[in-house]
Amino acid sequence: MKRFSNSVRIFFSGAVLSYKALFRWFRLEPYLATKVIAPLNQIMFFTLLGTFATGPDTASFYAIGNAIQLTAMSGIYGVTMSIGGERNEGTLIYLFGSPANRLLTFLGRSLVHILDGMLGVIMGLIWAGLLLGVDYSKADLPLLALTILITTVSTAGFGLLMGCLSLVTVNVMFINNTVYFLLLVFSGANVPLANFPVWVQRAAHLLPLTRGIQAARQVIAGASFVEVAPLLAGEILIGMCYVATGYLLFSWFEMLAKRRGTLEAF
Amino acid sequence: MIANLRVVRTAFVLDIKQQAVDLFMIFGVVIQPLLIATMAIYMLKGQDISRGIYVVVGSGMTGLWTSLLFRGTFGINAERFMGTLEGIVASPTSLGTVVIGKTLASVSVSLLSMLCSYAVAALVFRLPLTIAQPVPFFASLVITMLAFISFGLLISPLMAVNLSLTGWVNALEYPMYILGGFLFPILLLPGWTNPVSYLLAPYWAARALHLTSSGVATVPDVLLCWAMMLLLGGAYIAISYRLFTVVLRRARVDATLSLM
Repeated sequence: MKRFSNSVRIFFSGAVLSYKALFRWFRLEPYLATKVIAPLNQIMFFTLLGTFATGPDTASFYAIGNAIQLTAMSGIYGVTMSIGGERNEGTLIYLFGSPANRLLTFLGRSLVHILDGMLGVIMGLIWAGLLLGVDYSKADLPLLALTILITTVSTAGFGLLMGCLSLVTVNVMFINNTVYFLLLVFSGANVPLANFPVWVQRAAHLLPLTRGIQAARQVIAGASFVEVAPLLAGEILIGMCYVATGYLLFSWFEMLAKRRGTLEAF
Repeated sequence: MIANLRVVRTAFVLDIKQQAVDLFMIFGVVIQPLLIATMAIYMLKGQDISRGIYVVVGSGMTGLWTSLLFRGTFGINAERFMGTLEGIVASPTSLGTVVIGKTLASVSVSLLSMLCSYAVAALVFRLPLTIAQPVPFFASLVITMLAFISFGLLISPLMAVNLSLTGWVNALEYPMYILGGFLFPILLLPGWTNPVSYLLAPYWAARALHLTSSGVATVPDVLLCWAMMLLLGGAYIAISYRLFTVVLRRARVDATLSLM
């Protein structure tokens, strides 16, 4: 029982501390710039670009797609940097030296970013409603919240995998930026999947977000749980695959680094 | 004069070397514009393919701006972080001369954005890309470079004087894409934003490059764009001169230059 309560404590304290460590620069101004204004700019730019390319009736398609994609800001950048930051700040050696449960330590790095990511998506959807006229009157709001939660969790799962890569590369921001933009292009946030060649469509379905964005669009258009359930189930499955792969890599890198004595080598 | 040009050349060469190994800049100058171009091309699938050159020019402009914004923001601040700023300020060459060399490098490298987008659109997507009015287009490109350099000269000291502004740098990328009309005309925007666009040299640059590449440019149109770029460029330089004075005063009189 004590072991269980210790694990839970480590999970939550690790989650909060890693978030605090990442946002040690946290002040209202940069937070507003990064988490409120920049997302609004992204939604506006891609919605205007999309409506210029395909006509004014398609604004909702782009606005919803980009609002949901914003979860990648926390899920990819935040989670990756929380894990990669352990090495940069020299704390990885203590983390791997502790007897704490590795899986909970690993998963804990994503917890606050999931909450933050959901908040970002909700903010994006509010912007989309206020400035771009997205209509939520037909949406089942609890189902939309569930869709946001599932999509955010699966994206954070992908972030955990990317975070493991950050343990073996110095250029984590390069990877993050590239992955973030690849998601913008190929997750269906800005381009209908049918516009891509078949092999790209198949690859897009291996990404997080792809099904979540489709589900969110359908829920906002009035779809019921039964109609979007297969998409949500697929999104959960994809997320779990990424978490599992990430955890395996995390454990493998730990073993390898300990054996070679390269825990803090760059 | 010759000594100053030598400093510009040295700063230029050093900055090019730094950019060549800076993956963040490689992302901003090559990968991001390419992905934006790819996205726009797929968005336009099944529609008017003659818009291909518009996409190439527009995505190239995004690379120009991203590079200028980030290099400009961290141009002086990077020296501050590395502890080399005092040395530069204390040297007989003016800080502005060094920044000119660095900005020239960043603008020159970022022309790669347009080249890469052109290559991908032509070779991968097989789009018919023709620059309809090549002479005015390349003349516009040269004036664009001058206008962007002058804008960079404004950004660098501004960000050095107001460190809190650097926190906003991520939020300043897309607004220029939007207000500059890089990938869609500013007519899509509310009318009240248009005067802001008119005060931005990148807007006139994008307008000149789009008009001349698409072949719809008239002589008065192009001349207006060139005149506005030169006029605004002059204004940016005048303001930046004042800002450089503030930076130097902080360095030499207040001794607060390296304080964060």
